[in-house]
Amino acid sequence: MAELELRGGYGYGGGGGGGRRSRKRRYGDDEEFDRRPQRRRYEPEESLYDQLKRGLLALGEPGPDTQERMRLLAKRLVDHFDDEDIKSRFVDLTVCLIIEQPFKIPFVSAFALYVNDLQSSVAGQILSRAATKAQAVIDAGEWRELKLLFRFFALLSNLFDGDGVFSVLDELFNRAVDLQTASPEDAVGLELVKIILLTIPYALASPAKGLEPRALDMLQRTEIIASAPHPYSPLVDPYPTDSEDKPYGYQSLIGLLQKQLQDEASRGWELACIPRLYRQAGVGTDGADEANGADEVPISKHTFPSITVPSPVNPGVKPIFPETAFSVYTDQDIETVPKASHIASSLIRDACVDLINILDTNRSFVAKSLINIDHFWAPGTFAQRGMMYDRLRQLPEDQTTWKPEDVAVDAIFSQMFKLPFPEHKLVYYHSVVTECCQIAPGPIAPSLGRAIRFLFRNVEYMDMEVSYRFMDWFSHHLSNFEFRWKWPEWTSELEYSDLHSKKAFIIGAIDKEIRLSFTKRVRETLPPSYHHLVPEAKDKDIPDFKYKNDQTPYAPQARELYGLIRKKAPDEEIQGVINKLHEEAVLHEVEDPLIPSTDAFVTAICFVGAKSLSHVLSYIERYKDHLLSIGPSSEAARRQIVASVVDYWHDQPGVAVNIIDKLLNYTILTPMAVVQWILVDKLGRGAILSESWAFEMISNTIGKVTNRVRQIVDARVQGTKGLAAEQIALVDETLAKERDAMRQLFGVIDDATGGIAVGASDAMIESEGSDDMAEQNALLRSLGDRWQRVFKRKAAVEESAVGETAVAAAVKAAEEEAGKNLKNGGDVAMDNGHAEAGALSGAAENGSTA
Amino acid sequence: MPSQICTVDRLDKPSSYTASKNKRRRVRDRDGDRDDRREKSPDEDEKMKDATTLYVGNLSFYTTEEQIHELFAKCGEIKRLVMGLDRFQKTPCGFCFVEYYNHQDALDCMKYIGGTKLDERIIRTDLDEGFVEGRQYGRGRSGGQVRDEYREEFDPGRGGYGRAYQDDDKDYTIEL
Repeated sequence: MAELELRGGYGYGGGGGGGRRSRKRRYGDDEEFDRRPQRRRYEPEESLYDQLKRGLLALGEPGPDTQERMRLLAKRLVDHFDDEDIKSRFVDLTVCLIIEQPFKIPFVSAFALYVNDLQSSVAGQILSRAATKAQAVIDAGEWRELKLLFRFFALLSNLFDGDGVFSVLDELFNRAVDLQTASPEDAVGLELVKIILLTIPYALASPAKGLEPRALDMLQRTEIIASAPHPYSPLVDPYPTDSEDKPYGYQSLIGLLQKQLQDEASRGWELACIPRLYRQAGVGTDGADEANGADEVPISKHTFPSITVPSPVNPGVKPIFPETAFSVYTDQDIETVPKASHIASSLIRDACVDLINILDTNRSFVAKSLINIDHFWAPGTFAQRGMMYDRLRQLPEDQTTWKPEDVAVDAIFSQMFKLPFPEHKLVYYHSVVTECCQIAPGPIAPSLGRAIRFLFRNVEYMDMEVSYRFMDWFSHHLSNFEFRWKWPEWTSELEYSDLHSKKAFIIGAIDKEIRLSFTKRVRETLPPSYHHLVPEAKDKDIPDFKYKNDQTPYAPQARELYGLIRKKAPDEEIQGVINKLHEEAVLHEVEDPLIPSTDAFVTAICFVGAKSLSHVLSYIERYKDHLLSIGPSSEAARRQIVASVVDYWHDQPGVAVNIIDKLLNYTILTPMAVVQWILVDKLGRGAILSESWAFEMISNTIGKVTNRVRQIVDARVQGTKGLAAEQIALVDETLAKERDAMRQLFGVIDDATGGIAVGASDAMIESEGSDDMAEQNALLRSLGDRWQRVFKRKAAVEESAVGETAVAAAVKAAEEEAGKNLKNGGDVAMDNGHAEAGALSGAAENGSTA
Repeated sequence: MPSQICTVDRLDKPSSYTASKNKRRRVRDRDGDRDDRREKSPDEDEKMKDATTLYVGNLSFYTTEEQIHELFAKCGEIKRLVMGLDRFQKTPCGFCFVEYYNHQDALDCMKYIGGTKLDERIIRTDLDEGFVEGRQYGRGRSGGQVRDEYREEFDPGRGGYGRAYQDDDKDYTIEL
């Protein structure tokens, strides 16, 4: 990165993970870096290609006179297009820009039109390369890339004779119909319709004329698919409750698009937000609005490149689910983001979302583009940057109140909270928000504040997983900004029962803040009214050992164990003390003496290893065999391990979550033991469901199990390319076993949470009847319901990926591909097969220990 | 997976430090090895191709393993975490190695966590070819990291001023 910067770069290449870092520190901070004099770098003059590249990548970036820049770049390109190197690399780069930076597509298109004016053969080469790419992505089922390339073609509609992009949209539509007819659960067809609907407006915003009937005709046909309900839609609803107070529920994205386009048609396809950047040659060179001149020069036309849509289409590797509209600014008295019925909401959001998801390799570039969003859309689309919310109110009626910052923040959150899962790790979206705040703290902070308040207001209607993500982001975000938040405004929420989602959010967020920092620091950022949530016990780096107190049963033996563990005594000595403990337990008529002895042993390990995670891990490692022997002897004792860890660390549940995680890796614990301890042993009336660490622990545990099953499925699918039949049978057997275990796990969760949801837990039935319990019970039922939904969804998503039907389909596809490869060259396939076999046994080993 | 991004720089490349380290090593190998057993040191890209370890720098001396774990686990399950220690005191001296199970998690960490804050300090991450026993110790003369020897600005999270400027550091004076 530093090298690039020295060379002068492009000035926007996205410098490093933090522009704030001084170069001095960068070099200085390596413990092993020996300071030899830096050789002066030879800086060659920028080559012609590099100059052209710089010009191309700068399209749309803030700068003077967009049209003139595009025209000059076009001229330079055409002048030097006989250079083979430039020709090939530049055309490739142009196609890359289309699929990598969606904000710039209108600019690339206008540029291509200028090139066409100068020399249509050059434009033809760009078109043909884009078409080659389009064919490649369509064959691979890379739908986002296809959508972006179609957008490029659509904006060039005036270059094509005949139907232009509509002819291939027709084909795409036919495939969508096939898919939808074949299965009501199909979502790929929805994706195809989305591509069609998002291409139409760009065609109509192009300089081409007379496309309206074609567009209307297409809209009539897409209606039936776009407006049909989808069986998976409840899975992606961020506010799935039945409550009338929720902000909104599932709103099908393509359903909205369909309506928005029909509206726009009735308004004469205004499509005001799409920038019209091309001014025809000879009509005016000043970039002024003289485009509607009389003496138009005829445009050199091209035939639309041939792109075929395979039948059936390749569904692609990314699982597709129906999409819902999402916004955190729906209840304001001023419309700071386009409302859901407006076409601009879909067009701008779609471009933002793609930008964010495509360029996760450079969050600072993404943030910069989002902050500059108003440059990339038609002038007048957005209100002035950084304008305060209250000032928007004073704007004249005919002026837009769309706040660029709100639109950007809304788009990031839509991806962070996307169900069933986000495209990237959640922390990526955290980092984009952080970066935006660093680039434009003044304008972004208030937008973020309103977003947080909206989310918090609606937290009890939110899907449990979404609210967990919200809490996780919120605490991480604050840790990047000195833990500054206006806590006093939530003081009244502290009155709620701990079972209430808002209170649980506050408790969970503070705990997560402390995990990233330390108790004293976080306490000082909170108003005194919050201090009771951060008890003194949380300050203790090393929690007390309950066996210090002689009142605790088995205290002497536990203390002896502690001493032995500290001395790293051999297991025989440990066992000796445990035997003594057992003898005493038997005297007390304890049914399963392994339970108290496990409590003493595990608690002692926690206490000895309390200094740090690696300390406790080294003790676990040392006594691994002993710990491993507990579970097989007694399932109840195995659950006692979970109980002891959670109990010892109950003021710092984050540590417990980590230790449990490692114990699962060692297979000292089983996923079932963790789930049953929380959702059976500790369930009671369901209060544990309000603890965010419980949700975290179960989610992590389930995550491990589902990952493992997916790994086996991968191995199975890969295995078709060369594993021997008996090996395949072995994998199949493992898969069946592990998948079954996974289903059982989901079953236990579903039973437990479902029981709370309908209010059927034993304890709950007993307490029903007393009036003040009614409200508590309502809260508990709602918690049960929210948990149940999350894990039902996870189960459904896993079934769609690793269920018998899904695996059979994937295996069949792999076999067909292997068959193709075999025809092309058997040797290669064989070699791969051996490699896969090795990888497979490796994966199986990993799975059992990891 | 779509092809590599080509219009924007990536944040998950090894830094110039790693590159230069490999270069230096190659030079050293050549110098020290006269006979013709040319053991080609694997190319830098080749080495980093599957890297699962990150060097993490600019930590506060007070940042704990648990804090690091909490943040870095957001990019994937952590296989091993090695705290950087003062060679003499055996106390944290402001860096660590984080090892993931997967290469992709390490890359994601470069992209999403490098340059953000932990314990209110901007931390830096760098892909690393892997932890080797001994590397957990600071290489500065006084036992900590080299950068803390001659630092002129006061950094409360990293022991105040540079150790070379601290007159009261008796150990250090003896060392000299």
